[in-house]
Amino acid sequence: MEACMDFMNWLDLDMSEKLLMHLKDPSDLARVSSVSRSLRDFVIANGLFKQLCLRMFPQLSKVAHVMELNNCGVKEPVEVGSSHSMEWESLARDHRVYATLARVCTSFSLRDCISEAISASSTDNYPAETIDNTLLPAGIVSRRAYWSSKGQSNPAVPETLTYKLVSEFCVITEIYIRPFKAYFQRGSPIYSAKSVRFRMGHPKSPNDLGSHLLCDSLPSADDTFIWTYTSPEFPMAQESCLQKFRLPEPVLCIGGILQIELLGRVQTQEMDGLFYICISHVHVVGRCLSPAFVVENIQPSGTFVLKKDMRYKFHTQQSSPDNEAQEISDDQLQRRFRYLRNYLRNLNVIEIEEYEGEEEDVVEIEEYESGEEEYESGEEEDVEIEEYESGEEEDEA
Amino acid sequence: MALELKSSDNKIFEVEELVAVQSETIKSLVEDGCADNVIPLPNVDSKTLELVLDWCKNHVDMKLDEEKLKEYEDKFIEVDQAVLYDLLLAANYLNIKDLLNRACQKVADMLKGKTPEQIRETLNIVNDFSPEEEEEIRKENLWAFEE
Repeated sequence: MEACMDFMNWLDLDMSEKLLMHLKDPSDLARVSSVSRSLRDFVIANGLFKQLCLRMFPQLSKVAHVMELNNCGVKEPVEVGSSHSMEWESLARDHRVYATLARVCTSFSLRDCISEAISASSTDNYPAETIDNTLLPAGIVSRRAYWSSKGQSNPAVPETLTYKLVSEFCVITEIYIRPFKAYFQRGSPIYSAKSVRFRMGHPKSPNDLGSHLLCDSLPSADDTFIWTYTSPEFPMAQESCLQKFRLPEPVLCIGGILQIELLGRVQTQEMDGLFYICISHVHVVGRCLSPAFVVENIQPSGTFVLKKDMRYKFHTQQSSPDNEAQEISDDQLQRRFRYLRNYLRNLNVIEIEEYEGEEEDVVEIEEYESGEEEYESGEEEDVEIEEYESGEEEDEA
Repeated sequence: MALELKSSDNKIFEVEELVAVQSETIKSLVEDGCADNVIPLPNVDSKTLELVLDWCKNHVDMKLDEEKLKEYEDKFIEVDQAVLYDLLLAANYLNIKDLLNRACQKVADMLKGKTPEQIRETLNIVNDFSPEEEEEIRKENLWAFEE
């Protein structure tokens, strides 16, 4: 008996499909598709790349159809007199689009994905304690830069922070939050929350995000957005360090809106006896899939059209987003620094410390597993940023 | 209670019901009351059936010891390609989900990280692309070949 078998002859089609579905790495499936015409046709006919993507990102079940934009930025026309059927063309297109999508979803660089803040469910002392404060670079800490909710006598009242992401098509892997410690109050209370949950979605109508109103009270976010993903609940540490919340699986955010839901208040303010939540920093890590991929026509039901832009150089050695996406990032940063500068001018008493080695001081939190409230910390140090300042500099001198 | 299974080459295997019903196919037969006589399995030869039954027996015995079971499974699946394919077909026919998954995973592992040429060698597949076609396909998914 021969040592090597062509399994396509040996096994039936159903089995072959089962087999190929065990290839989790998109590169492996791509290489298998290049082995022979029959294998390639098999992969195309059974939509194996689409299935692979759907398994990685169930959010893709809402794709109404896919399109390829050619080098002129327009939809590829169907070849007249083509020997292939329309159905086959459609399958082949799906194959090309989903193969590339699988690749970019796992290889584009990780980066900060928040473009700007949209709204908070409530804000105390607007505009001093606005949600915009949460987007100041984490490396620069100000005792006075934080978002605060309004006070509540009932600790069960939740709060939400809603942000716009850098593109309508991002893969999100983790979210970082640092609760605020009020140094200027007796006992330096930390206004963290009991637990946190994340939602992703899109605006109900494309015009709703026209003007970014950061006003004191605003229409409920529920009226403005449709949520297509809700994460499990994560416990929050009662510490003012940067806490990392890693989603159980990377999630495709379609529509570019992310909401942080802060559940359960913990800390009262001595002055009025009310419960508050205050956050000093937020950032969201993931991969921005635009402009390589674009989503359009997001319907209320969540269905959308997925477009692959052929002009984008998918084949470059560097798997990083192109210049256009980088510019967005620089622009955001500039805006935030300008904001900070103005902010500082308005306040007289500010201390700013340069903060290095952020990674070591991050506390990683795992989601709740059947009611347990454990979390792991990255390093055992309890990070107090102000303490770092005085300690470190003395050593260096 | 014991069941009798007959392989394609007419060998009879006596097996505990608890072991045999790991196969959904056999389980349905038992539930339908068709298992009183010898159950013929024309699609599985004795060599393969023996291996399959060993798998089933160990899954009953080691059910509670996950680590030991994993060790057994890893060792079990280290077989020749021909035997592996026989196991795949038998697991599919007898509908034994965990064996099917493990065997599929083993074949997939054989393909992981291989170039198309290496895959052709492993699976004995002929390259039926024209050089132009092959180049075009390569370009389409260049990222897969850069690693």
